Amino acid sequence: MTPLTVGLILLSQLAQVAGQVLLKHGMSQVGKTPRRAGPLLWGLGGGIALLTAWFGLWMGLMQKLDLSQLYPFTGLSPVLMVLAAGLFLRERADWRTWLGVALITAGTVLVAFSVPAGSH
Amino acid sequence: MNLNGLLERSERGADGTMGRFMTTATKPPSVWYLNPYFHLGLNCVLMAASELLLKVGATEQSGIAAPEWLKGTGLTTLGSWWTIGGIAVYILAFVNWLYVLRWIALNLAYLVTSSVQVLIALGAWLLLGEEISRLRWGGIALITAGILFCAQSSSRAEEKL
Repeated sequence: MTPLTVGLILLSQLAQVAGQVLLKHGMSQVGKTPRRAGPLLWGLGGGIALLTAWFGLWMGLMQKLDLSQLYPFTGLSPVLMVLAAGLFLRERADWRTWLGVALITAGTVLVAFSVPAGSH
Repeated sequence: MNLNGLLERSERGADGTMGRFMTTATKPPSVWYLNPYFHLGLNCVLMAASELLLKVGATEQSGIAAPEWLKGTGLTTLGSWWTIGGIAVYILAFVNWLYVLRWIALNLAYLVTSSVQVLIALGAWLLLGEEISRLRWGGIALITAGILFCAQSSSRAEEKL
């Protein structure tokens, strides 16, 4: 795996996390008065654009790499998501959340290693 | 750098106070079919169903006669109603996800969607006849335990409010 490939994998994960943060930011405007369409549209538009970028990058990576190589990296996204939600949305995470994240990541990596080598 | 802080500041007037008409709907509707946690569960089921439908569609279309480059784009899989159904369910799941985000914190909602991996594995095992190794069952158990910890953490946070 070249540094470029690892960089692309990380970029795709970051795009996914940023996309979800924007979607959440947009949707949290709903129901507020006075109505402001700006943040809602920017959140939804930006979120959908970033998630589309993530999807494209991920499909490209899946064509080049074995699923068993690529899939362990998906274990990163819960960690990044909780960090980003704390940083940008001020969502709190206590030790139970982090223990849960650690278990989910470990489980995802185990599932990834159970994918037979050579499958796409 | 706190994005939310910046955004909140920009929402306030020049004197730093919230506008007179600034109210926020803080409680979700109480009827069960609009309950956000019901929709979060529904989202996981829809995402898993969509993946399984797409898998059936892709498998069904893999044997058809078409140039390799065209197959490489994945467009040939659109010839199957299974694929069309999978895409329709996927779009439904996205709309449903937006409703979930309206009410539930992103960290909890996203972590709960890890259960899609468990549901896909169970669906592939029960419906598509795929085998699940002992290693994969172990991973499934860890993910499930992790989601339970996250959910417990969130319910305690809500109790304090």
